[in-house]
Amino acid sequence: MRIAATLENRPAAMLALVFLAMLHGAVVLAGFLAPYPFAEQHRESPFAPPTRIHFFDAAGHFHPRPLVYGPEGSQTYPIELFVHGRLFGVQEPGVLFLLGSDGFGRDVFSRLLYGGQVSLLTGLAAAFLSLGLGWVLGTAAGFYGGWLDRLLMRSGELFLVLPWLYLLLAVRGFLPLHITALQAFLLLIVVIGAIGWVRPARLVRGVVLSGKERPFVLAAQGFGATDAYLMRRHILPLTAGVILTQATVLIPQYILAEVTLSFLGLGVGEPVPSWGNMLSEARQYYTLVSHPWMLTPGLAAIPVLLAYLVLADALLPDQRYRYP
Amino acid sequence: MFLLCQGIWAADDVLVVPGLNGHPGGRLVYATRIEARTLNPVTAADAASREVIDRMSADLIHINRSSYRTEPALAKSWTVSPDGLRYVLELRHGLRFSDGHPCDADDVVFTYQVHLDEKVHSSERDLLTLNGKPIVVRKLDAWHVAFALPSPDAVAERLFDGIWILPRHLLEKAWHEGKLSEAWGLRTPPEAIAGLGPFRLKEHVPGQRIVLERNPYYWKSDPAGHHLPYLEELDFVVAGNEDLQVLRFESGESDVISRPSARNFGVLEKQSEQKGYILKNVGAGFEYNFLFFNLNDLPANAPVEIAVHQSWFRRTGFRQAVSAAIDRESLARLVYMGYATPLSAPVPPGNRLWLDASLPRLVRNPTRARELLTAEGFRWSSDGALTDSQGRKVEFSVLASASNPERTQTATLIQSDLQQLGMRVDLVPLDTRSLLDRVQRTHLYDTCVLSLASSDADPNVEMNVWLSSGGSHLWHPEQAHPATPWEGEIDDLMRRQIVARKSGERKRLYDRVQEILMQYLPLVPLVSPNVLAGAKKELGNFRPALLDHYTLWNVEELYWTAGARK
Amino acid sequence: MKYLIRRLADSLLLLAALSVVSFVFAQLAPGDYFSELGTDPRFSTETVAALRAQAGLDRPLPVRYAKWVRSCIRGDLGYSLAYNSPVAPLLWQRIPATLLLTATATFLAWLLAVPIGIWNATVRGTWGDRVSQLIWAVLLTIPELVLAIVLLVLAAESGWFPAGGMRSAGFSAMDRWAQARDLAWHLALPAAVLVLGMLPVLVRHVRASMLDAIDSPFALSARAHGIPRGRLLFRHLLPAAMNPLVSLLGFSLGTLLSASLLVEVVMGWPGLGPLFLEAVAARDFALVLAVVMFSATFLVAANLAADLLLYRLDPRIRTE
Repeated sequence: MRIAATLENRPAAMLALVFLAMLHGAVVLAGFLAPYPFAEQHRESPFAPPTRIHFFDAAGHFHPRPLVYGPEGSQTYPIELFVHGRLFGVQEPGVLFLLGSDGFGRDVFSRLLYGGQVSLLTGLAAAFLSLGLGWVLGTAAGFYGGWLDRLLMRSGELFLVLPWLYLLLAVRGFLPLHITALQAFLLLIVVIGAIGWVRPARLVRGVVLSGKERPFVLAAQGFGATDAYLMRRHILPLTAGVILTQATVLIPQYILAEVTLSFLGLGVGEPVPSWGNMLSEARQYYTLVSHPWMLTPGLAAIPVLLAYLVLADALLPDQRYRYP
Repeated sequence: MFLLCQGIWAADDVLVVPGLNGHPGGRLVYATRIEARTLNPVTAADAASREVIDRMSADLIHINRSSYRTEPALAKSWTVSPDGLRYVLELRHGLRFSDGHPCDADDVVFTYQVHLDEKVHSSERDLLTLNGKPIVVRKLDAWHVAFALPSPDAVAERLFDGIWILPRHLLEKAWHEGKLSEAWGLRTPPEAIAGLGPFRLKEHVPGQRIVLERNPYYWKSDPAGHHLPYLEELDFVVAGNEDLQVLRFESGESDVISRPSARNFGVLEKQSEQKGYILKNVGAGFEYNFLFFNLNDLPANAPVEIAVHQSWFRRTGFRQAVSAAIDRESLARLVYMGYATPLSAPVPPGNRLWLDASLPRLVRNPTRARELLTAEGFRWSSDGALTDSQGRKVEFSVLASASNPERTQTATLIQSDLQQLGMRVDLVPLDTRSLLDRVQRTHLYDTCVLSLASSDADPNVEMNVWLSSGGSHLWHPEQAHPATPWEGEIDDLMRRQIVARKSGERKRLYDRVQEILMQYLPLVPLVSPNVLAGAKKELGNFRPALLDHYTLWNVEELYWTAGARK
Repeated sequence: MKYLIRRLADSLLLLAALSVVSFVFAQLAPGDYFSELGTDPRFSTETVAALRAQAGLDRPLPVRYAKWVRSCIRGDLGYSLAYNSPVAPLLWQRIPATLLLTATATFLAWLLAVPIGIWNATVRGTWGDRVSQLIWAVLLTIPELVLAIVLLVLAAESGWFPAGGMRSAGFSAMDRWAQARDLAWHLALPAAVLVLGMLPVLVRHVRASMLDAIDSPFALSARAHGIPRGRLLFRHLLPAAMNPLVSLLGFSLGTLLSASLLVEVVMGWPGLGPLFLEAVAARDFALVLAVVMFSATFLVAANLAADLLLYRLDPRIRTE
């Protein structure tokens, strides 16, 4: 396939793909890889800095298995594997906060992994929804033209111009109360995805429009092919490239959108973490100045977005056609 | 009984404040979170506007924010009739508004007419209406005004605080035309605004700052004869949000900070030495946080879940169990960095005079909580989840204001505490207005974390909260008849304490109210945050108080010690 | 001409639809401006209800919409409940601040992006180009919010830049020169954040357009004819690369009123951003609606202008 060939030629893109795969795998396995459940509070260690790991104890002996010092300062706790059903951890009352703890004493590293589930998967799922919607509507508009085309394009403009922030605040207000964290998450995906169908639709429409006029399609029409056959056999394959490229552009945008929405209080509720709502606690002045490890969700997003960017560049070097 | 209260006055009826020794000059910069919206004393409802307006206005009798006692302000003395129904106030002679225009009894009568006017919808109107009948205000002569109360009120003097006297020569025309609420918006030129406060409007830059300048006609002075205020200018700078407010204070751009959050206070404390400011933890204030339950009669179209949840909330044992499970110490420590006091009653600890000291401290007791739940028929399933007598899992939601991080943090801690009892609590952060709409209008909620702040030490200001017919009776407002016997008892006690003459008897009645509230727990008291404030160390007479306005209540007395602000 | 009329009509229809949708959504959210008075023990429910009725909040939706439209035609743009004043003056007070920020940032961004983009295109494939691409990629992926907050804290701690605001205290007393310097000092940080956010996108676009032009057959033949590089670049290549850039410029200009919303709020710049968010929080729906419609109109107008410009400049479009 052309796409696989394109990627093979660019080692950076391959690297990005591998990185993304590993990250998504790690995030999916958060229940195993994270040393603590995301809601577990350690109220006696709020805002603890990242736990220092020692290979040499106070007396200077070397331990092949690293250890941490307990809260009293003298007791050591070795890091053990496969403890409490998780990959690694320490026995109570020792704590292993690889990236420190937040205001309630919850492990930031664990919450980062679990939070990645929400943020990354929101990006994927919302992109899927947008692309699906955009694909259907764009193909219909491009293929049938006429009033359908005009209607879709005009309502597309309306969507682009809507103050989505204000609308989302309004929607949150009158939702029923008994929404679990999962349902809030799904709602978030639906909203983000539904708002963003316009650009993919426009691109697909463009491709379908030009594809419609191609000689082989006209020939097939002349031979009496039905609309369904034309679409399935000739037009849709043309759109595959566009859809895939748009995916690499939309997913990072939606990850950022989730971060922004959660930042504003419209995302998944406590205690479920997402990179967005973890950042909103970090945004306060006192946190930045005194507890800089709280910024890690923001920093974690950067390599992810970078990887998607590299992929997008590899698939479509000419970025002009990404922003119609 | 003849009650006479006199202020010390000098030659032309100026109030001399004893003990002051500052010197004039300088500008004070005060960073606010959001911009004031109007300068109209009658319609202003938001705190930002009131902050500015209160510095430009004066009332007849003022409550000293530090001693909580009433003091003569524009009224230099007053007499009370033996039955407590008639007050006659004498104004200071020679008073002038900030534009030089004289002030006399006509302005006082005008002010009260405006506030009592039904078409104006002033917030003070309900305060001035006792038992459904308004206070009647009559001018006796140029300097004497008579106030006739429809029914006795033990602390009627306190009613005068905060009712700013308005200039008839500037506002009467607007009032007659029915346009009073549009008067004195932000775009009004300074010449069109006048008041009797220590400052007057100098300049307004939209979105950025409101600058006040010294009122040359202010009626207070210090013992050395300097006319107050000491400061030449008071500059309200709009910072935008709390973090920017803290940043400005820390960088020295602003001189005072009022009620930073506990965490920001902690950060500021670390640098106070090198940056040259002092921070004060004034102590437990008048604000109290609590969790309350939806005990309303639900409308017919309410979702079934809420009715099911209410069947749990209505059990006193359930509410007591929730209260017993909450870890208030951690709340004070984690959310407020220790700058808060766990509550033992819904009366803030700052209110030492009225708090029932005999009530026991609330200590976290999960064992007791489980006993209470078992007694009410709840059971635990094998996976630890709490179920009621019909096998339904105990799950409900708690509302918290999304814009206030401390509320959502409080709710998160409560969520975790109750989880240990097997309850699943969903935290629903909503913006303030949606939250209030649910709590007060539609009644479609389960529980809510909220806080109230008393504006005065006296329990009378909270009548609307404790009376079952009150609009602020949060868990079940505006009842036609008391829904429960204990609410009826509270109604009776509150009504009796309003007319009781002796403060000892009033305290006894109010203590009983607190006992009932703590037994039936319609709201579960949590903590009371301390009042925190800070100012540059060269600011003299900086004495933050526990009541609004925490730092500027004595703005006319603030001054710069030698070698300070330009 | 027909094209212009058609586009104009479409735009007006779009704006009308937007106003209806926004109006409806504004009413959907529970609570209104007066909800907050409920917890103030001084206000009885009758007073709150009377205030609501006075503001007309209890009338049916179409009636309120008609009233709002009439107010817009009169020039008031609705009545703000929070400020007790017509909305229009509130907007006019804040728009200059926002425009100052975004216009400066946009101007700077384009000023930097065009030469850098051209340079990137001409040195394609070299180390300079690779490093540049990396820088733009990283800049593109840093969330604007994070950048704004970090810069703000750094600036305030170091004292080099002010912690928000547009003017210092004694502004009115300063002379022209000092005023300009004061403004620039306050403008620096918010503008920097915006520029850093816009720059990567613009540079990549300019580079791509230039590359497209460089690779095209006419450029090759021009070079074969011996036309010197400088003239080739500016007389032949740049005009050809203009097409997508004009659309982008239109979009850039169109977002002048809305792009800076978050930056203004986080960094304390007194423009439309904080006004809008406060109005949203306070449910001051007339103000919210006015800001929304204003920004949308700006956007639509700018896009329309860009499209028309393109229509005139680029003959290829006209065959559509």
